[in-house]
Amino acid sequence: MVPLSYYLVLSGVLFACGVTGFLIKRNIITIFMSIELMLNGVNLSFVAFAAHWHALSGQIFVFFVMVVAAAEAAVGLAIIIAVYRTRETLNVDQVNLLKL
Amino acid sequence: MSLAFQASQALPRGTDYLRILPELVLSIFGMIIMVLDPVVDQRRNQKALGTLALIGSLAAIASTLWQARAPGLAFWNMVQVDTFSVFFHFLITTITAVVILTSYEYMEVQQIRVGEYYALILFGAVGMCLMSSAVELVLIFIALEISSISTYILAGFRRRAAISSEASIKYFLLGSFATAFFLYGVALMFGATGSTSIPTIEQHLRSGSIPVLAYVAIALMFVGLGFKVAAAPFHVWTPDVYEGAPAPIVGFMSTAPKAAVFAVLLRIMFQIHAPGRLGLIWVAAALSMTLGNIGALVQQNVKRLLAYSSIAHAGYLLVAFAALPQNGIPSAMFYTASYAAMNIGAFAVVSHFGGAGERYVTLEDYSGLGRRSPVLAAALTLFLLSLIGIPITAGFFAKFYVFSAALQANLVGLVIIGVINSAVAAYYYLRVIVVVYMHDPRDESVLPAVPLELGAALAITALTTIYLGLLPGRVLDYASRSAGDLLH
Amino acid sequence: MNGPSLDTIILSLVTFIPAFGGLLLFFFPRRDRDIRVFALVVALLAFALSLHLPRYLHRAQAGFQYEIDKPWIPTPNIHYHMGVDGVSSWLVVLTTFLTPLCVLISWRSIHERVKEFFVLLLILESALIGVFVSLDLFLFYFFWEATLIPMALLIGMFGHGRRVYAAVKFFLYTMIASVFMLAGILWLYAKAGSFDFITIQNAIRNGKVEGFAAAAPWLFLGFFVAFAVKVPLFPFHTWLPDAHVEAPTAGSVLLAGVLLKMGTYGMLRFNLGFFPEQSRANAWWIAILALIGIIYGALVAMVQPNMKKLIAYSSISHLGFVVLGIFSFTPAGVAGAVFIMLAHGISTGALFMLAGILYERRHTYEISEFGGLATPMPRYAAFFLFIVLSSVGLPLLNGFVGEFLVLSGAFQAHAVYGVLGATGVIWSACYLLWMYQRVFFGKVRQPVNESLPDLDTREHLALWPAAAAALVMGVAPLLWLNTIQPAAQSAISPLGQIASKVITP
Repeated sequence: MVPLSYYLVLSGVLFACGVTGFLIKRNIITIFMSIELMLNGVNLSFVAFAAHWHALSGQIFVFFVMVVAAAEAAVGLAIIIAVYRTRETLNVDQVNLLKL
Repeated sequence: MSLAFQASQALPRGTDYLRILPELVLSIFGMIIMVLDPVVDQRRNQKALGTLALIGSLAAIASTLWQARAPGLAFWNMVQVDTFSVFFHFLITTITAVVILTSYEYMEVQQIRVGEYYALILFGAVGMCLMSSAVELVLIFIALEISSISTYILAGFRRRAAISSEASIKYFLLGSFATAFFLYGVALMFGATGSTSIPTIEQHLRSGSIPVLAYVAIALMFVGLGFKVAAAPFHVWTPDVYEGAPAPIVGFMSTAPKAAVFAVLLRIMFQIHAPGRLGLIWVAAALSMTLGNIGALVQQNVKRLLAYSSIAHAGYLLVAFAALPQNGIPSAMFYTASYAAMNIGAFAVVSHFGGAGERYVTLEDYSGLGRRSPVLAAALTLFLLSLIGIPITAGFFAKFYVFSAALQANLVGLVIIGVINSAVAAYYYLRVIVVVYMHDPRDESVLPAVPLELGAALAITALTTIYLGLLPGRVLDYASRSAGDLLH
Repeated sequence: MNGPSLDTIILSLVTFIPAFGGLLLFFFPRRDRDIRVFALVVALLAFALSLHLPRYLHRAQAGFQYEIDKPWIPTPNIHYHMGVDGVSSWLVVLTTFLTPLCVLISWRSIHERVKEFFVLLLILESALIGVFVSLDLFLFYFFWEATLIPMALLIGMFGHGRRVYAAVKFFLYTMIASVFMLAGILWLYAKAGSFDFITIQNAIRNGKVEGFAAAAPWLFLGFFVAFAVKVPLFPFHTWLPDAHVEAPTAGSVLLAGVLLKMGTYGMLRFNLGFFPEQSRANAWWIAILALIGIIYGALVAMVQPNMKKLIAYSSISHLGFVVLGIFSFTPAGVAGAVFIMLAHGISTGALFMLAGILYERRHTYEISEFGGLATPMPRYAAFFLFIVLSSVGLPLLNGFVGEFLVLSGAFQAHAVYGVLGATGVIWSACYLLWMYQRVFFGKVRQPVNESLPDLDTREHLALWPAAAAALVMGVAPLLWLNTIQPAAQSAISPLGQIASKVITP
């Protein structure tokens, strides 16, 4: 059996990939996908912990997270479209009316 | 959570629904508005939908008061109604009502004729209310998302203005980013303790040695929640989002979701007895106060100025989290309420004065406001004085309680940083007052009269600001009892 | 009139009637004349009521009278505690006396935003009275801060050229200084568990305040800095000339007449009341600062080309006497200090009114613009001379009594203080009389000045009470000293237990 720590390391790596992507990517869609990657990293650790504690609840949480992520995606894509309509670009460097 | 699968409690009981009554009321009204929106005439019935939302929020206030008589747990120990949750429910639903009042005129002037604006405010309030009564981390996550998703959309509601959609996307991306951190913290806490229920976690952490995972979990949750309350170093989104979002919505999202997230933080930090709390809070509080105030010093845009000020206020509030629970919790609760009153009031003035397309938002535009509209100027002055923390305004006692709580926990360094920051902050708030009263108006055009609803909102916030500054006793008492409930 | 019920509410009435009147005024329609009349009526009503305080004060009895003590906020333990003694009751009357005069003097000079002006003026009056009657430190601090905002707004909204600069400077100086006092108050509250003046004083005397000995020097300094900036004591005085020069006349009158006294009153009440040992230990350098203030203020006043600035620096000099008197720790010195506070309030208030009257006519304060004014404005010149004489301390006028008492007290404390202080009297005669000479004597050099109208009825109404008060205070000082002395005595009585050599007159 694969030990728990392997799953945790993998989920940590996925999460870190997501964070890195969020910070260095310039396209809004890619950034958004990085966030999804982070959430999936979390999901993996939920499942791993559920197996570790023999608690079903951890796996159910994953469903919740997926549902919420889907809702978030719907809203997020709508906002992205709104931005694209006004700016004709999805590069965050050019979405810069507000100084950061 | 394992309780949820016991057959004997497979179905929720009637009282369970009573315990989420405010949330139910708000959702139902929100849905009614969504259904009515396409049916009614867009132009004329805008106000009717707003009024419906107002009735909804008033009904939610009433149901909160009703609910307060029967505290207890519901839905398999996922929701807890006690004085603590009632306090925040009351606060959030009142904020909702006042924000709806300030929105009437704004929607008219900006020519936004979409009814779901009000529905989204109500849905956001549902999430925020749920956050304050949830005692289960995954439920808190879901509530947090309900509130966040609504505010993401609301931030971008001036669809024609490029900065509004830009604010929306920034808020959305950074907000989801933060949520992921929070969720990771939840997952790790689940891993560390085998549960996501706050009381169970607390027992688990208290009984044995604290696993390292729990420290990491608390830190990650704090990062996620710190983003939401705009605490430094997670504050970079705040000025941009506040500048771009519609002014009444800024008033809303700088108070209600913050109050809710602070409620969650109170639960996590104090009810769980979060390990490693002091270090995290210390750094975040000191940074927020300092960076917020320094940032505000150079701002020319009033919305940005208030955004930086809200970062600083998040910092003052966090000071309470470093104090001992019996003082820290009530002082933090008092602060959220005071801050809500004065900040919504300030943004109500900003939204009225901004005019079509929010044209007048720079400091220079405010010059001579004292001449052009004495009432608005007086109200703004009151709110700013309260934000400074001048006696007999809410802001004074808010700061007083927080700092004295911190002193009782021997956090002298933090208090000194806080007091110095308050003095620095006085400078930029006064700059606004100076411009309002002592500079000659650049534009002599007559301001539109303050409509009734906005006047009511200003009156409510101003009176609350003075009431909390004059007679803080009752609210503080209630907050102290809530702290007792929270700590058992 | 002397019923027990009135005695308990009189202080609340006097304190809040002006603010309440101001609040009503806020909702008045913008009919300027009605607003002025209403403000005058409110101010006169407050004055009439305040006369009750010294009239029925039990003179022989030390301690506070007309007390009202109601719990206000449970946490922190704040009480609505007010009371006056012989010192503060007269300061209240000074405030209520000057406010109607301020209303009169602003009658025409304020013609824009009249409503705002009088609202602010009345709120300011309430706050000033509140400072003098509060016996709860929190209440005191609240009123103390509350004076800042209306005053800064009065300067900033209705002042002259560099008004914004002056208002902000005034605000920041006093605000930052009072933060130190707030820190001291909070420390005392944390250790004594009360904001109550009397409770804290007793706790300190009985040694029930934990860690007091170690903290007292710092607490003393905290309170002292806040008061010293307000007085203003050299070297904290730089805000005062700016504030005065830019302020509207009524603002100057209340600023010099009452606001500065908040500082000396605070020293007397709190520094001496809470920290007698530290007061004595620090008296030497405070007296030196006061002497520097007396002489420096006078010398700078002498070379001022601006009439208002000259009067402002003369205030610094006069207030130096007050501080010197307080920190001489002699009954004569303290009583004299209080008497100067009152006398200076009236004569400097009147000087600012006179300067304001001139400004209304010529829109300048430059002394060189005038000359020979005695010819076109004989009555004005007579009033001016009278007030100048009272200010320089001519016997039988109000300035003399206080300076004499302070100097005799200072001599008793330390002969050098007395000698140096006495030179201040000479200086003040020099700069004021020289200014008078330049403004009024000689030929009219500027043609504009030839046709300046003399005082009108309203201005007479504003000036006569001040002049009469100056005369009565000089002729019959015992009317005042009778009530001041017991209070002054009890203010320094804690010192008597510590110091071996107490000099009684």
